Amino acid sequence: MTEQEIESAIAEMFEQNYELLQAEGGHSLTQDTKRAALQQVLLYWRKMRDVAERVTETEVKLTLPEQQTPKGRKYSIHGVVDIVQEDERTVMYDIKTHDAEYVESNISDYEKQLNIYAHIWQNLRGHPLDQTAIIATAYPKEVKQALNAEDDVALEAALDQWEPLVNIPFDQQHVDDVISDFGDVVDAIEDRQFTPPSATHLGRQYKTKGRERRFATQICSNCDGRFSCSSYRAYTQSNRGSDASFNRYFREFDSTDQEEWLSANLEADLEA
Amino acid sequence: MLTATFSIQDIWNELQPSPFKPNPNQEQAINHVSGPLYLTAGPGSGKTRVLLWRTLNLLVCHGVKPEEIFLSTFTEKAAKQLRDGLQSLLGLATNKTGQPYDIARMYVGTVHSLCQQLITDRRICQSILRPVTPALMDSLGQYFYASDRHFWDSAIAAVDLGDNANEVITNYFKGRASQSRHAAVVECISLFNRFSEECLKPAEIRERTDDAVLKGLIDLYAYYKQSLGLDGRTPKVDFSLLQQQALETLNHSSEAGHVFKHVIIDEYQDTNSIQEKLFFKLAAGYKNICVVGDDDQALYRFRGATVENFVQFPERVRVELGVEARQIPLNTNYRSRKHIVDFYTDFIGRKNWQRPNGEGHYRVVDKDIQAHSTDHHPAVVASTPAPPTVVTTEIATLVRQLLAEGKVSDPNQIAFLFPSLKSAQVSRMREALEAEGLQVYAPRAGRFLEVEESIAVFGLFLTIFGRPEQGVYKGDYADFQTWLDDCLQDAKGRLEKDVNLATYIGDCQDEIETVLSDYQVLTRTANKHGWVLDESYTPKIMQQALAASFGLSEKARKSIANSYMNQLAQQRINENNPFTLRYIINRATSLDWSILDLFYRLCAFSPFKPWFDLAERGEDEGPICNLGLVTQYLSRFIDGNSPVLTAGFLSDNKFLNTFFMRFIYSLYRLGESEFENAEDPFPKGRIPFLTIHQSKGLEFPVVVLGNPRKDPKVQPIEQIIRPLIDREGEPLDRMAEFDVMRMFYVALSRAENLLVLAHYRSQGNFISEPFKTMLSAKDFPRIPQFDLSQLPAAEEKEQDIARAYSYTSDYLLYQKCPRQYMLFRKYGFVASRSQTQMFGNIVHQTIEDLHHLLMIRRAQA
Repeated sequence: MTEQEIESAIAEMFEQNYELLQAEGGHSLTQDTKRAALQQVLLYWRKMRDVAERVTETEVKLTLPEQQTPKGRKYSIHGVVDIVQEDERTVMYDIKTHDAEYVESNISDYEKQLNIYAHIWQNLRGHPLDQTAIIATAYPKEVKQALNAEDDVALEAALDQWEPLVNIPFDQQHVDDVISDFGDVVDAIEDRQFTPPSATHLGRQYKTKGRERRFATQICSNCDGRFSCSSYRAYTQSNRGSDASFNRYFREFDSTDQEEWLSANLEADLEA
Repeated sequence: MLTATFSIQDIWNELQPSPFKPNPNQEQAINHVSGPLYLTAGPGSGKTRVLLWRTLNLLVCHGVKPEEIFLSTFTEKAAKQLRDGLQSLLGLATNKTGQPYDIARMYVGTVHSLCQQLITDRRICQSILRPVTPALMDSLGQYFYASDRHFWDSAIAAVDLGDNANEVITNYFKGRASQSRHAAVVECISLFNRFSEECLKPAEIRERTDDAVLKGLIDLYAYYKQSLGLDGRTPKVDFSLLQQQALETLNHSSEAGHVFKHVIIDEYQDTNSIQEKLFFKLAAGYKNICVVGDDDQALYRFRGATVENFVQFPERVRVELGVEARQIPLNTNYRSRKHIVDFYTDFIGRKNWQRPNGEGHYRVVDKDIQAHSTDHHPAVVASTPAPPTVVTTEIATLVRQLLAEGKVSDPNQIAFLFPSLKSAQVSRMREALEAEGLQVYAPRAGRFLEVEESIAVFGLFLTIFGRPEQGVYKGDYADFQTWLDDCLQDAKGRLEKDVNLATYIGDCQDEIETVLSDYQVLTRTANKHGWVLDESYTPKIMQQALAASFGLSEKARKSIANSYMNQLAQQRINENNPFTLRYIINRATSLDWSILDLFYRLCAFSPFKPWFDLAERGEDEGPICNLGLVTQYLSRFIDGNSPVLTAGFLSDNKFLNTFFMRFIYSLYRLGESEFENAEDPFPKGRIPFLTIHQSKGLEFPVVVLGNPRKDPKVQPIEQIIRPLIDREGEPLDRMAEFDVMRMFYVALSRAENLLVLAHYRSQGNFISEPFKTMLSAKDFPRIPQFDLSQLPAAEEKEQDIARAYSYTSDYLLYQKCPRQYMLFRKYGFVASRSQTQMFGNIVHQTIEDLHHLLMIRRAQA
């Protein structure tokens, strides 16, 4: 298969998957978002070709069997990874659609996850991994700008600069911590403990895509549950002047999102 | 792999703190790996564990590959339980053997989901270039398809059922003519499904009857099937025809019998004819078919199930596969106290099950069900024989005591079971419990739309969008009109009490008025310039005039003047694919929100918010479950229409008619029921009121049989279908009685510690035989004398099968926000906008496909 053939195969598989997901979930992506998603896969192929071509097992299901929560419930932990195995060397990759900067700034979350996956894999296969890494497929803004400008030279340079691979070191302590924490979470879920994070937590800053964002902006503003959420209400009220009426805080629709939503869902060829 | 040092027992012993110790029959069943296996499994006999361990044995000790196993369950819940359990135990096995197992491609699921998988399985349809996946209509989808006015009018015009086809059809089934299209469609759907499940070919069965109406109905079935385009590239199927498509696929394949080394079917007593054909076809090569079931618990004749599949399994195996099946009874009951087991065993034996001329029985007799429990204390207790008010009060008091004395830890451990939730005894019982301050959860007790959560939501919707016009009608329609009024009344009360809510609703109404007015303004401008809505939109010519329209709102003006949109419009003209003027106007005159957005915003107010708060604290799940279901129905409407509410759609009552008078009215008439959670069926804090059918496969510390009466009645469809099929089944005059016995048997065998029977005796209130005779025993325990101190407290259930939790979609999601987890993962709320998630899914899926492609390419090189 030539380069061209692979790229058109990607486009074809992408289209099929899109139709499938649309049929299943009944939701659509805007043209722009859809294009960006395809672009992300194509750039993964261009940039990470070396890894992609050497993958020996894809979407490997990992299971940590027969665990027990502090309250005595049985459960098992599951995850999915990709593996490259050649000669004596084995590498585990976890592909994320986040950007590398976000991964770096939240590295401990990823360490926990990959460490426990590594732990499971090593138990299952009986030999250690030589490396574990995240592949963060969201491309940086330089690449995006070059794509928008259709500037091949700039794109080449931006792709060279881009480092989607983030190595994750192994630490057994993480594994033990996570397993113990995981059991608590299972108990909490089974005991129906669903209290949201506090309003203070909602105000905390996170770093992503080169800027600081609050939990409330990053997570809550994409959650339909926010309107009935006590924490979100407390957060909004403490962050607004006294003139803000009760009704207003949930009536605002982000205008950019709104345009995108219309574009995705209002059929251009709509019949009356 | 089988090694000298490793066996299935090693894994049993691995399980700590309690290693698995099967009884001898269970162990034999687990180790039977070659030839047909017939497992007659009594209530609570540990069949799920046997299935789990037998499958594990095949995979781990006998080298069977996951994709060579076909394991069919009755529900998705059972499938998930088996899958979770297998994954966990296989993980243990891997730790022992070093061999990895991936069951992702294993067939575990309901017959329907497995049929979908079969249709596109490369091992079966090798010849076809790209297998066609039919679009599946669920039962609601099937109803909307068949009851669509356009479809139905052409269908009845195409067959010979006279001028008043609806009347002819309803009269044929019910003996009472009705003009209602709805009533006719509902009857036809159940007949069509039965035809499909019996594999009846219209051309053939047409010759087997002289009845003109039945001939007409058969033609209608043929028309319906034809309309689905089953041979085309985009076929549609209902659940029944899905199975037929799968069987067709197998019939066209030379490999069908050699794909699965093991075919395993759970709840075999509730399979139908077409499923039996499918299973024998799949097992034809290796002859390893294992069926598990209990004919005494057969419940689904009304869905076309034939219990004979199970009772006569040994003969069928002999005929179809030419071998003998090994029968192993699983007859030790681990669920119930001894008195309960003895009671229901006595109960089922009181019917005469003999076939005529002494040719055996209509059930598997001599099952020899034995209780594992040796507790001889009374565990079955009846109320005083009395009128309903006395009986229900007595039972409600008992329930209160059980809770007060800690015999159960939550009201959801006491289940009230009824043959139907529509009877008067149900509401009486409910009132008695509520008088004791106890809350009831009754899925299927009434229409889902009549629960208070639905009334609250739709009352506000009606207030915002307006009430559809009222005509003068009778029956369902009149009831529906009353429901609309009740909803509106409910909303009115809420608006009076809550000024914030009233303001918000007023704002929504204003927005609708604005878009409608903008729409008129813009179309007027278009008319003035002589533009038609379907012509191309040319920004240079049209934009200014539209934006300058007199009386246009600021928001619409901005939308028309949006420079990005106008650039895009110009670009589309250059690409020769222009927007229509209609599109531009629709875009400018659409609401910002969909009905789902609206729902979530309304949840900020009372009574919704307090309902969410209750669920957050794990106190009462009832309301949140129903609200989750509301989002599923709203999302279903959106899928069939559009999320965007344009002024065009809102005008001339189009939206009102589509949403309320077609969609909601259909849900209302079909009596769609309340939320039923697949994993944890019954909300904490409430006493479940269930139909006996709903209780299938479940167990409760305390069971109250709330109405031990059911009058046997043969369904018309059985009489219609019988002359058309050439199989000999249970005689029509006995079948209904058999079914009643089986149904009560299921109810009685759900109880673990205590079984309570309501003993009604007054004018018009009585209980069925053999209850009447059994309860007439002089020393039968009665509630007033019942000594609660002998009753053991409900034990915390030892959950013996591990549940699977995903690192990302459970653990991380919960850690991010437990409340978000609750809504979208636990209670099935549908998100209104899901761009981010879909983005992630499609990227991951395509990268996985790419990796597969590259691996295949490398293997070929």
